[in-house]
Order: sequence, then C-alpha cells, then structure tokens
Amino acid sequence: MSKDKLDIPDYNTLFSEHRFVEQRLNKQQFEAPCSEQETAEALAYSKSAEYMEKNFSRKAVVINPHKACQPLGSIMAALGFEKTLPFVHGSQGCNSYFRSHLSRHFKEPTPAVSSSMTEDAAVFGGMNNLIDGLENSVALYKPEMVAVCTTCMAEVIGDDLSAFIGNARQKGVIAEDFPVAFCNTPSFVGSHITGYDSMLKGILSYLYERSGVEAAPGRGEETGEKLNVMLGFEPYTGNFAEIRKILDAFDTKYTLLGDHSGNYDSPATGEYEYYYGGTKLEDVPLAAKALGTLSLQKYTLRKTQEYISGTWKQQISALSAPLGITGTDKLLEAISELTGLPVPASLTEERGRVVDALTDSHPYIHGKRVALVGDPDLLIGLIGFCLETGMEPVHIVCSNGDVDFDGVKFKEEAEALLSASPYGSEAAVYVGNDLWHMRSLLLNDPVDLAIGSSHLKFAAKDAGVPLIRVGFPIFDRHHMHRHPIIGYQGALNLIGLIVNTVLDELDRNNSGFNYDLVR
Amino acid sequence: MDPVRKEEFDSGACGSLAPKTKACPRPKPGEAAGGCSFDGAQITLLPIMDAAHLVHGPIACAGNSWESRGALSSGPSLSQYGFATDLNDSDIIFGGEKKLKESIDYIAGRFAPPAIFVYSTCVTALIGEDMDAVCKEAADRLGIPVVPVNSPGFVGSKNLGNRLAGDALLQYVIGTGEPEPEMQPGVNLIGEYNIAGEMWDIEKLMNSAGIAVTSRITGDARYKEIAWAHRARVNMVVCSRALLGLAREMESRYGIPYFEGSFYGAKETTYSLRQMAYLMNDRDMERRVDRLTEREENRLAQDLRPYRKLLKGKKAVLYTGGVKSWSVISALKELGVQVVGVGTNKSTEDDVRRIADRVGDDTEYIPEGGASRILKTVKERKADIMIAGGRNMYVAMKEQIPFIDINQERHKAYAGYEGLLRLAKELTYSLANPVWKLAASPAPWDREAPPYDR
Repeated sequence: MSKDKLDIPDYNTLFSEHRFVEQRLNKQQFEAPCSEQETAEALAYSKSAEYMEKNFSRKAVVINPHKACQPLGSIMAALGFEKTLPFVHGSQGCNSYFRSHLSRHFKEPTPAVSSSMTEDAAVFGGMNNLIDGLENSVALYKPEMVAVCTTCMAEVIGDDLSAFIGNARQKGVIAEDFPVAFCNTPSFVGSHITGYDSMLKGILSYLYERSGVEAAPGRGEETGEKLNVMLGFEPYTGNFAEIRKILDAFDTKYTLLGDHSGNYDSPATGEYEYYYGGTKLEDVPLAAKALGTLSLQKYTLRKTQEYISGTWKQQISALSAPLGITGTDKLLEAISELTGLPVPASLTEERGRVVDALTDSHPYIHGKRVALVGDPDLLIGLIGFCLETGMEPVHIVCSNGDVDFDGVKFKEEAEALLSASPYGSEAAVYVGNDLWHMRSLLLNDPVDLAIGSSHLKFAAKDAGVPLIRVGFPIFDRHHMHRHPIIGYQGALNLIGLIVNTVLDELDRNNSGFNYDLVR
Repeated sequence: MDPVRKEEFDSGACGSLAPKTKACPRPKPGEAAGGCSFDGAQITLLPIMDAAHLVHGPIACAGNSWESRGALSSGPSLSQYGFATDLNDSDIIFGGEKKLKESIDYIAGRFAPPAIFVYSTCVTALIGEDMDAVCKEAADRLGIPVVPVNSPGFVGSKNLGNRLAGDALLQYVIGTGEPEPEMQPGVNLIGEYNIAGEMWDIEKLMNSAGIAVTSRITGDARYKEIAWAHRARVNMVVCSRALLGLAREMESRYGIPYFEGSFYGAKETTYSLRQMAYLMNDRDMERRVDRLTEREENRLAQDLRPYRKLLKGKKAVLYTGGVKSWSVISALKELGVQVVGVGTNKSTEDDVRRIADRVGDDTEYIPEGGASRILKTVKERKADIMIAGGRNMYVAMKEQIPFIDINQERHKAYAGYEGLLRLAKELTYSLANPVWKLAASPAPWDREAPPYDR
C-alpha cells in the first residue's frame, strides 16, 4: 500500500477550486439574487431591535428548535439496562431518526427496532404490528427485555400498549415471564428528557412490581448499604466514569439506575455485540431497598423521582448537573448525607487542585459575556459554573423548558441563581424559545462566547461568536462526550475548554504587537 | 438465492405511477427499519435551497432532522433552517390549521422565500388537517407558491416518500414558470441531490460537452428552475427509480424523452452523457461527447493504474439504499473490487435485476437490514471493506472493518470520472490505514492467539 497522505479533497477544498467557483458564479446570472446592498440591508435589519421584537412576538412557527422528541430519550433510557432492546411502536421513520441522531452524537451503533406501522395500522390500530414486531425482534435480536415506547402515531390512534402486550403473551408470541416494559411517549408533549424520564420510570416500576419484592427504604444492611444513583438523559459517557470514580472514592456500594455508558462506549474487539453493559435487571427490585436515591437531573427525572419517593418511600437527593466546584460540592454533600460517610480526603485534595486551576485561568475569563443553550438541568449547572468563575451569563435559551411543562420552576430557579450574583445581573432566561430567538439575541446584544450543542453553531457563526460545545447533540466534533463535565475533573475539563477557546481567539485576532508567548 | 422479492412482483414497480396494489415493499415490524415517507419526501425537496421547508407536526420530525443532510448549496441556505409548527397536545385535539397558517405567514413575511413547501406528518395526517386548503388559501393571499407535500411517515418507505415529493412537484411546480429567453434548452437531472457536491462535478462534465442543465431536480436547485423543467429536451433519471414516475409523466404531458442512468463509474458516466446527446438528437453534440468521453476515459485509465493494482481482487460488501447499489457496483468493478455482498432492502425489482447483471453468481443478496446480517456476510465472504451509510458505520468500526461512507453524510464526491478516481483513492487509503493493523492485534500480553486474518 502506498504511504501517501490522504490527498482526496473533501468538498470544502474541492469546490473552492477556481473552475467550480466560476461555475457557481455563472449560475447566479439567472438566479436573480438580491443585490449586495439588499443583502446587507436585510442582515442589518435582522440585527435590529425592531426585528428582534418581531421575532419574539412570533407565536406560531418554531425555527431551529433545540429539542428532540420523547421516544429518543426513551431509547437512551432503555439502553441503560442490561440486554434490553428499545422498541419504538409507530411508523418506521421515527426509529431511524433516533438511531441516526444518537449514533451521530456518540459515534457508536444504536440498536433499536420499530413496529413499522403503516396506514392500515392507522385505520385498524397497531396491535398486529406490535405483536408481529415483538415476535420478530425477540427472535432476531435475542434480548432479555424489550422496552416499548410509543410515537405520535400510536398515541393519536390511541393504541393500548398494556393490552396489546398482554395479547401478545396470550397468543404465545412471547413467553409469559418475558419482561416487556413500556411507556407512553407522544412527541407532541415534552421532549427527549421527558421521554427519558417516562421510560426510566416505566422500567423501574415494571421490574419492581413483577418481582414481588417489598420496598423497604433505608434497609441498607440487606442490600449491602447500597445507594441508587440516576444520571438521567446523559450525553456524556465520561460522566458515568466520573460518578463511579467519586462513589468508589466514598467506598459506598451503589446501583446506577440506567447506565447506557456501556452501550455507547464499547471497545473495538473485532466482534460487535448487540448489548453492552447496563443496569442488571435483577438489581432493579433490590433498588427499592436502597439507602436512598441520588438524582443528578432533577428536572429531567421528575416522574421517576416521584415514583421512588412515593412508592419506594425513599429519601431522594435531587440535584441538577453537578458542574463546577460548587455544583460538585453539593454532590459530595448529598452523597455524604445519604450514605452517612464522610467526604474522602482524596476528593478534597482533587478539589484543591481544580480550584488552583480555576485561579490560574480566571484572568482570561473574568467578565466574559456568555450565551447558553441546553436542557434545564445542564443549564442550571452551567449558570452556576459561569457565576463562580466570574463569567457573565447573558442570554439563556431553553427550548424544552416549556412554560406549560415545569418551565416556570426551572426559570424561577435559574433566575434566583442569577440574581444572587453580581455576575448574573444582565442575564435573561428564555424558556420554550428556539435558536432563531437566540440568533436575534446574539446579534442584538453581542457576547464573547456561546456555550451549547452543535446546533448553536449556525447562530454563533452569524454573530461571529466562538462556540464551546457542551451538551446534546454534538455532531461535529469527536470524543467530546468521553470527557466528563461533572465533578471536579469535569470542572477542570470545562475550564480548559473555555479558557483555551478564549486564548485561541486572542491569538486569532492579534494585531501583531501582542502575539504573546506566555499567558 | 432468488434475487427478486416476491412482494415486489405483487406490488408493481415502486416508481410506477399506477401501482397495482401497494406502492412499495412494506417494512417488517420488529426490525431496525430505515427512513419513512416523510423522510423520503424531505430528502427529495430539501435540496431546493432557496425555498422554505415547513414541517407541520410535533417537534420530532423537524427537531430530529434539521440541518443534517449533506446536500450542498452554491448560494441560498434557507432550506437548511428547521421550520416546524411544533404541535402540542391541545393542537392535536383542536387542530393545528391556525398555527400552520400563522407559520406560513411569518415565514413569508420574514424570509421572503420564492416558495414554501409544507410537509404533513403522521400526526397531522391522522387528525385530518386540511393542509391543501390552508396552503391554497395562503398561496392566493400571499402571492407565492405554498406547496403541500402529503407524505406522512406511516404511508410507507422512504422510496414512496421520494415519489410523493415528485408528485407534489408535478402537481404544483413543474410547468408554472418559463426559463430566461437566453437559456438554451437542455437536460433535467432528476434524482441527483448534490450530496457532497456531486452535481457540480456532473454539471462541469455536461458543460464541457456543450450540454446545458435546464433543471436540477433537486440538487442545489432554485425553485424557479424547477418551475420551468417542462422546457427541457431530455430527462435523465439519476439512480432513483422512485422519481421515474415523474419522468414518465413529463414524457406524456410534455413529450420529453427520458432515460435512466448513473454517474458512478466511467462506463456509466460515458453511457449517460452519450444518451443525453442522442436523445437531444444533435449530431454535433454527439461528436463532442465522444471526444470528451474518450479523452476523459484515457486520462482516468492512466490515473487509476496504481490504484487498480492495489485494489485488484479486494472484496467489498455494499449496503446502501437500493437505488445506488447497482451503479456503485459498476464503479467498483471498474476498479477491480469484487462485490461479495449487496443490500437489496430498498431495491426495486428492476434495481435487483441490474444488480444481478453486474455481479457474479456467488454474490450474496442481503434483503433485510440489521447490523448482524451485514456483518455475517462480511465474515463469511471474507470481505476487505464495507461500503455503507452512517447508521452502519460504527458497527463496522466495532468489528474493525475498513469502511467507506457512501450515503448522505459523506464528504467526498464520487460521481463522474474524477469521482471514480477519488473513490479509488479513498478505498486504498481506507484499506491501508495502519489503524486496522493496530486494532486487529491484541495487547502484547494476549498475543498467543494469532491476530485476526483479514
């Protein structure tokens, strides 16, 4: 084989060649494009306060949404359990979107199947599709549990999952004792995070109720002093590693309720298996006897938290993403409180090292104005991190902090957090808004940095703001999800990302006399 | 193995305008299925770059799909915006028509697009939204075309969606405009979406032979040029049987002859260019095409020599949307790569026949999806490389199989003569990368077993 460099131009370079540029210019002759002046005027108008007002009074249309739908979250939740096959009950396209979406983020395959409903199902109901689908998928993919969620279509025609699955058992398509957890996840309600919550609750309650185990809160001695931990809709496999590291440092035993890190971080061994890792199914009923439950996404996991405190009668510590020093401090305090164990010295030491790193970097980020986009729990964490490092959150957009869906409480908390710090005085929190709103905000009231998913890159580019990729989805960068953002290590990763972006910008924009070697 | 699937005999050709029974093969419940009709319709129309594309439905269909296709634009980018009505539960109960109307008005007012395409989804079709009426009313009031695309996901496969999008173009767009007087009549390219800029390579070739492109349907298209598509002299259906119905209908309505062709591989490219000139009924043009193709083929043969040597006898498994399979096989064959397995899950009867014409008897047909099925073929046939789309890419990585992305997310253009050279290079590089050796050798302390022989 030749040892040449890969010299096949990709489209960025190939089509910048003169012959293609010329070809495109020729095409413009009959395109009748706007004049440069008109374009400039339109761009200027889109930056104006007048347009921003119009944009924010927009009620009907969503432009560039920053949320995905419920079943996508359900699939992630299902993949958190051992040998569990996610099953989407509805028309086939949804499932292929979910698989692409998750695979593009994690760069890993996503096993999930669909009941492939078509218009006859729309008329007569999807029962036959569900029954055939269960039979086929169990035979093909040999799961130990199937986790069924619905799509809009199944919800609109009113399919009854519980009855259909019962009928499948009666017909002998699946064995009487074969576990099939399920939940309802219409996409016209909520978002990917509510879907995650519904499926997690669906699986926990299903496995618990059929086990015959009696909930016995705090009976740690029976379960080996275990703690339940839920990470929620977690786009970072690195965060699972980090939480394990922290819990191991405490020397407490724990059950992660929902752990998809195995499925999304499996080794290349030359042999692809369908299922990797995940919470063991038999651990779920025992989780009802745990010392307590730690939830790291309190807005995402509302239903599951309610279930655990209501049915399992457990003490719950519900936090948002533990980002930064203060966020991680709260996490360690919560673990300490739930387990009765002191915070280990190794973590205190790590804290000191990361605080040191933050002090090293603070001159370059102090007073940086920041725009934030993300899911509610991530945003609470990010806001806290910005404030403690002297960055000033300015625009905060949360597409799925819908006003009619607990958005108000999220907004209240975010605003309280911001108003408690002088660095939060300029901030405004927008729930149920989209990235087109964010674009108006960025153009009208410029910031230094944007923090959010890959989807934010278009608005950020229009506004000439560097984007720091945090959250979900990150399609256009590799391996970001492998590095934790929670815990002290996560704080170090985040500050590294942010300060080095700032320094890159300084170098990029240097005017020749200050191309500093030392910073 | 019998390459032709029974249900396709029953169903009539997927691209046919008058299917005998069902339009396209039905997906099987319980499998990891491909895209739906909504997806197919969007893929067909989104490359109309200056139009606005509004999804009427809950957030999912738009939220999971906006800005993630690789159809490139040479100018406008409005098509890349994710517009959605984002219906919620009360809209499902009381209807979303008002929201739709307001959405159309907002888009027209703010973005001033030449046209708005409005897509139905499973939900809006089920609750019986009268999208056609809303679109018509808005079009009359706003004075711009507002085109309803009735292709909800549940009606079937992606191919059917392509076809329904074609129907929408026929019904609402083609024939509604006239080309600039100075434009010379030429060829419509149907079903070429400018993935990774392939359309630009093709256009360059056609222009060198003096063949004009009248309308791009729809790669890097502008709304206007589709409206005047009926003034073309020839239709070429590029690797997409699903839009064959569009070509057939244009033949009967406007008397435009059509042919099916491909630009993957030198042989197919030459054939396609010749066919254009022949159907244009222009002797001069035919001669120009002959000169051009001869020159290009000679140059290519020269450039390809070192790569052919390296690729000779290599085995590939090809798993892509059915329509592309046969043409990519041609290209691979020219490079000396043997296709030992080929996906036929989305292929029509004719596609499968074309595949059969191009591969040997011992090639395995992979009729249905699922990673395990593809992997089995790779292993059993000792394939050297897998050529497939994004959803299967990471499975290949897990199995340490060299991989080339051939579908919509790829960043390399493989069409035409130069495209074939790029494909040859990409194949050799992908096979030669030292990472495969690294991946295939176990850790030093586990070395007693011989490394996996590929």
